[in-house]
Amino acid sequence: MSSKNKIYLQPTPVRIWHWLNALGMITLCVTAVQIRFPEHIHLFANYKTAILLHNAAGLVVTFSFSFWFIYYALVTRNMFKIYVPSKDDLQNGLLRQAKFYLLTYFLGRKNPHHPTPESKFNPMQKSAYLAIMFLLVPLVSLTGLLLTNVAPMRELVMLLGGLKILIAIHFLLACSLCAFLFTHVYLATLGKTPMAYIKPMWTGWEEEDVDDHPHSAS
Amino acid sequence: MITQRLNKAIQIGLLLFLLALAPAILLAMDSSDCMDCHSDTDMVGEDLVIEARTFDNTAHAELGCHTCHSSITEEHPDDGLAPSKAKCADCHDDVDEEYSNSLHAENAACGDCHNPHRAKGLTAVSGHDMNIQCFACHEHDAMQSKHTEWLPQADLHISMVPCVSCHSASDDYVISLYIIKRQSGTMFGDFELASYDELNTFSDGKPIQELVDLNADSYISLAELRMFNLDREKKQLRLQGMMTPERLSHDFQIREDRWDCSFCHASGPGAMQVSYLSLAESDGSFKRVTVEKGAVLDALYGTPDFYMVGATRSTALNYMGLVILAGGMVLPFGHGTIRFLTRKNRKDEEK
Repeated sequence: MSSKNKIYLQPTPVRIWHWLNALGMITLCVTAVQIRFPEHIHLFANYKTAILLHNAAGLVVTFSFSFWFIYYALVTRNMFKIYVPSKDDLQNGLLRQAKFYLLTYFLGRKNPHHPTPESKFNPMQKSAYLAIMFLLVPLVSLTGLLLTNVAPMRELVMLLGGLKILIAIHFLLACSLCAFLFTHVYLATLGKTPMAYIKPMWTGWEEEDVDDHPHSAS
Repeated sequence: MITQRLNKAIQIGLLLFLLALAPAILLAMDSSDCMDCHSDTDMVGEDLVIEARTFDNTAHAELGCHTCHSSITEEHPDDGLAPSKAKCADCHDDVDEEYSNSLHAENAACGDCHNPHRAKGLTAVSGHDMNIQCFACHEHDAMQSKHTEWLPQADLHISMVPCVSCHSASDDYVISLYIIKRQSGTMFGDFELASYDELNTFSDGKPIQELVDLNADSYISLAELRMFNLDREKKQLRLQGMMTPERLSHDFQIREDRWDCSFCHASGPGAMQVSYLSLAESDGSFKRVTVEKGAVLDALYGTPDFYMVGATRSTALNYMGLVILAGGMVLPFGHGTIRFLTRKNRKDEEK
């Protein structure tokens, strides 16, 4: 026997940030392809449109990142707890979660991690999001901001080694974010139903099966 | 092109022939006689002085003063006669015809942009100097705000692209690399085009070309470019790239095809293969040294400060990006396949 337990997992500010960020990221990826390969890709009317849209989407992502940061760091003040893996996460959690994704999931076992508002992410998610939200997104945003208007910040560009290095960092990190996006979207479909994890990010509420007789399970 | 050159040769030949037939008194005064006075400001004043070193390196110097100032006699300047001046169109008739039909012709004569005693070939003028000429009438700040209305990063474009790259026609464009130097000596002073004398202070008595062309073979390899860019002692010097035309049309105008950024930015790694190092000469002109083909497409250290979005992308980085993106596909495809094959296990577990 089991019943449904509803948890309010994703507060409204987080959902606003997530979907704003998603819209920005997808726009960035699509426009980036035309910006890098203008003679092959013609998704937008002209090159200038692709660049202006890319710049605008970059600003949206940068501002929504600031919004996210302020919310977790200053409003809820649980950023560290949510995003930084604990000692147990590193010693046991990572292996346990990897074992689930790579083995026990296929055998039909349940996810060993049960999300709560204070512990939303499993150890693998924590590690990935830590790298993404504290390294990749800030670096891509900062390099992007510098590239949006090179002339006034030329000195900073030279300190970093030049325009080519800046472009290389921006391009490779952006590719890494895009690669993560594929994995992120795929893993989001790994719930009991394909929409089980996606729905809470829209509504805020996650439904979880609760076993009414836990001691009877073996 | 060959016909034009032939015409020009015939015209020059004709002028020389007429000079040969002129009275001996006319030939009594040769160019060096002219320069005896006209290279001295004290003698002729600032308006009439001609800088000998600069003039000697112009194509006009080869023709001699009398070719253009044919009325000069041995009595000059005591005869009180103003010397005749040849018209530019006498030799440059094709340019004159093109220019006369342009909007520009109503506002500026040849001499407003070109001093015949300092005239240099297109490739002997730096991109910076080309723009200084334009800014004499088209005020810099006004042009910048005008371009800002439609051009992203207008300030960058105006400082890094010669006006003529967009406002005249050319079949070919190359990347010209100029050595720029930090000016004030302070940590964050502006970089400006380095003069011949400034570069000489860095070259330890060697020809300044060897600042970059380390083995002095008049060919700059990618390895030499990287060495120059990584050399800490030369950090006050950097290379600045500009897309410069190989030929100029004189119909200066707003060219419709240049509203489309992809005119310059959509060439891909197939283009932008040709580049030159443009080195300042003692007379203010620039000489070109061939740079290894494709050097500006090098991912990092070939030309670290020069990047044209879309046009100078690195193929090596493209492949690295592709590998990263493919890495992101491994989980969705790999895991997804096994997930599909084992779907029965999860249904059984639910029951």
